[in-house]
Amino acid sequence: MSTVTRHRGPRCASGFRGPRRASGFRAGPQPEQRPAPLRRLVNAAPLYQFLTFAVFAVGWELYARTRGGLLIPTFAETVQATAGLLGTAELWRAMYASNQALVLGFAIAVVAGVPAGIVLGRFRTLERFADVYLNILLVTPMAAIIPLLVMSVGFGLASRVILVAIFSIVMVVVNSRAGVRQVDPSLIEMARSFGATERQIWTRILLPGALPAIMTGIRLGLGRAVTGMVIVELLMVSTALGGLILEYRGLFKAPELYGTIVIILAEALLLISVARWSERKLTRWARPNPARSA
Amino acid sequence: MSALAERPGVRRPRERRRSPWRRLPAAPLSLAAGAAAWELIGHLADVSFFPPLSTVLARLADITSEGMILGSLGGSLINLAAGFAISLVAGLAIGVAMGRYRKVEAALGIYVYALLTAPSLVFAPIFFSLLGAGRGSIIAVVVMYAMFVIVINTASAIQSVPAHLVEMARSYGAGEGRILLRVMLPAALPMIMAGVRLGVGRAVTGMINGEMFIAVVGLGHVVTEAGGRFDSAEVLAVLLVVIAVALSAVGLVQAVDRRVTRWVPKTTRGH
Amino acid sequence: MIEIRGLSKTFVGQDGDTVHALRDVDLDVAENEFLTVLGPSGCGKTTLLKAIAGLIPWNDGDILIDGTPVRGPGPDRGMVFQNFALLPWATVLDNVAFGLKMRGVGRSEREERARSLIALVGLSGFETKRPGELSGGMQQRVGIARALAVQPRVLLMDEPFGAVDEQTRRLLQEELLTIWEKRRMTVVFITHSMEEAVLLGDRVVLMSARPGRIAEIVPVPLRRPRSSDVGALERSGQYVEITAYLWDRLREMHEEQRPAEVAG
Repeated sequence: MSTVTRHRGPRCASGFRGPRRASGFRAGPQPEQRPAPLRRLVNAAPLYQFLTFAVFAVGWELYARTRGGLLIPTFAETVQATAGLLGTAELWRAMYASNQALVLGFAIAVVAGVPAGIVLGRFRTLERFADVYLNILLVTPMAAIIPLLVMSVGFGLASRVILVAIFSIVMVVVNSRAGVRQVDPSLIEMARSFGATERQIWTRILLPGALPAIMTGIRLGLGRAVTGMVIVELLMVSTALGGLILEYRGLFKAPELYGTIVIILAEALLLISVARWSERKLTRWARPNPARSA
Repeated sequence: MSALAERPGVRRPRERRRSPWRRLPAAPLSLAAGAAAWELIGHLADVSFFPPLSTVLARLADITSEGMILGSLGGSLINLAAGFAISLVAGLAIGVAMGRYRKVEAALGIYVYALLTAPSLVFAPIFFSLLGAGRGSIIAVVVMYAMFVIVINTASAIQSVPAHLVEMARSYGAGEGRILLRVMLPAALPMIMAGVRLGVGRAVTGMINGEMFIAVVGLGHVVTEAGGRFDSAEVLAVLLVVIAVALSAVGLVQAVDRRVTRWVPKTTRGH
Repeated sequence: MIEIRGLSKTFVGQDGDTVHALRDVDLDVAENEFLTVLGPSGCGKTTLLKAIAGLIPWNDGDILIDGTPVRGPGPDRGMVFQNFALLPWATVLDNVAFGLKMRGVGRSEREERARSLIALVGLSGFETKRPGELSGGMQQRVGIARALAVQPRVLLMDEPFGAVDEQTRRLLQEELLTIWEKRRMTVVFITHSMEEAVLLGDRVVLMSARPGRIAEIVPVPLRRPRSSDVGALERSGQYVEITAYLWDRLREMHEEQRPAEVAG
């Protein structure tokens, strides 16, 4: 079971910056190379990213025009509707309501989850007994408890906040725990050899050492918090952004329906990018450094 | 790790004391304690949304004998299996292509990553409009949940195959196809399997969420319905079944993982 | 200076058997002596060093430093670690000043002392770099500077040059000799290299494994200072003779150990 959490850990999904294999190499005389500027353009990632997007957009447009149904807008209509929605007060009100739950729930998850994870990482016995629950929580579809939440605290803000917190706290706990656990034991030994007190070991070794993993947990937790926010609004408590989606679906306003989804996705990706950026800023030292192997 | 557990300062006991807790099997004990606490709190609190465990189990027995659980479970498992199979095949194919060819990665990488981190359920209304309120939409949601983590892990697994292995194979005259099949895939397998394990966990989540959104079949449908009737015992009963499904699905993948990656040294496995 | 009397340490192995890491170790280290400890892997040499450092508990016996029993880590001892044990998030300056900080030395004095030691180990100009930006040899210079910064009376070194390449290792050995000749102190130096043990040490403590105990103490009567001409020293008859003797003894130990290796 422990492997489930292990691979959720710090660097599970950030893989494709890994080392480059040398298999593209061919022996023998090199073929004539294209002029440098052209080659750079052809090899540039943005060009390919744009091409992918263009293919996607054109495909969507064609599909919607030829086979489209009542609930399938064209790409152009969706772009238009998205821009239009951004000018309506209704959207921003929904945005505010959704994000209220997101901010509160996520704050609870961080404030409670980081200390809980640190404690679990440091005290092994406690951790052994909590492990089975963390593993269950990691694989359990949390959405199934939404009905219980509604029964206990109603359809208001509270149930959305609680669900967002529950969604994100597991990630925060698991990664903070891994962070404390993966601090190099020889650093603790080193600190003790210089007479560090238990308190100094915490503040000078364990917490800074665990910081990168804690930050990763906060970033992954933020992703899950956004998921929780959307899910609760879509499945049970139809208010705010999720409520807007359901409303547009009911009214067969397809472009607005898709536009709302685009806006939610944009917000999620923006938040996660900000989290990723600040994670890198704060834990620059933990990035793999080529000089280390020299 | 032992340095973490040891207190500063020199103790000088004759025999190193070991905590008596260390000998006990933690998981069963912990679960038993949790079950007892559930029962107790359920009785003491006496609120409609948190019935004691015994009530939930009785309800589970009821709906099982009525045939409802098995029918829904079957429906759910079909969604899960179909969605996961599509995720696996497509995820491996896209992941290998991204890991092998820089241009494919350049074209797809950022989108795969975005879809991995985005809240997958917002796509449910789109599938609903494309595929209607049926099994197809639920399966699409499962794919949305499970596929991208497999893609990402496969791509980075292929990329982190040590170059010297590939050079070795090439020095013995292996062609590109054979290098991929005989060297790169086996070497990348442990990491690929890690992605598959994550994928199956996410697939179960996608299954329930999809079934709750497009409530026509499966366990998610039962949960939504029971929730609508404020039948908390039934919600919790189904939740127990869902947890069992999730744990067995992950367990199954882990068993496969252990069989196919037996060559990996134990010390690097972290089991 | 250091007196070790009847030191024994056992621990329970993974299969539940009791392993004697150290059994009845008696050892005296003189003031300002450079003592090297040599032995096959698993002979308990690192355990011995950590016991002197006060980092691990033991079962029986006493360790006295200037007549005071060791009860834990203390300011009279500074340690250098095999894997450097540098804080990856801290700069070179902060790493060197770490021990002083733990001791509550004020910021300005801390940095002044750290800077002078960084200069001593030849890392001036690297104060604001982080360990990840340094080579292995440079990282261990930081480790040595950190240990020296607390002005210990005893320097404990746990295979400090085991993780660097051969050329760097030779440079570091020469530099360590230069530093030690300038500021004499007691050094206990663990190594698995015979050449290193002879080149650096006044005496070589030869340990045997399972149980870990002192097999022999070999004096090294090579002249000091040695840092000025290491090359000539290594070609001298005495040096060759002592290393050859140590190799003979180590080979004997390996042959005695072989059945155990197969069994275990």
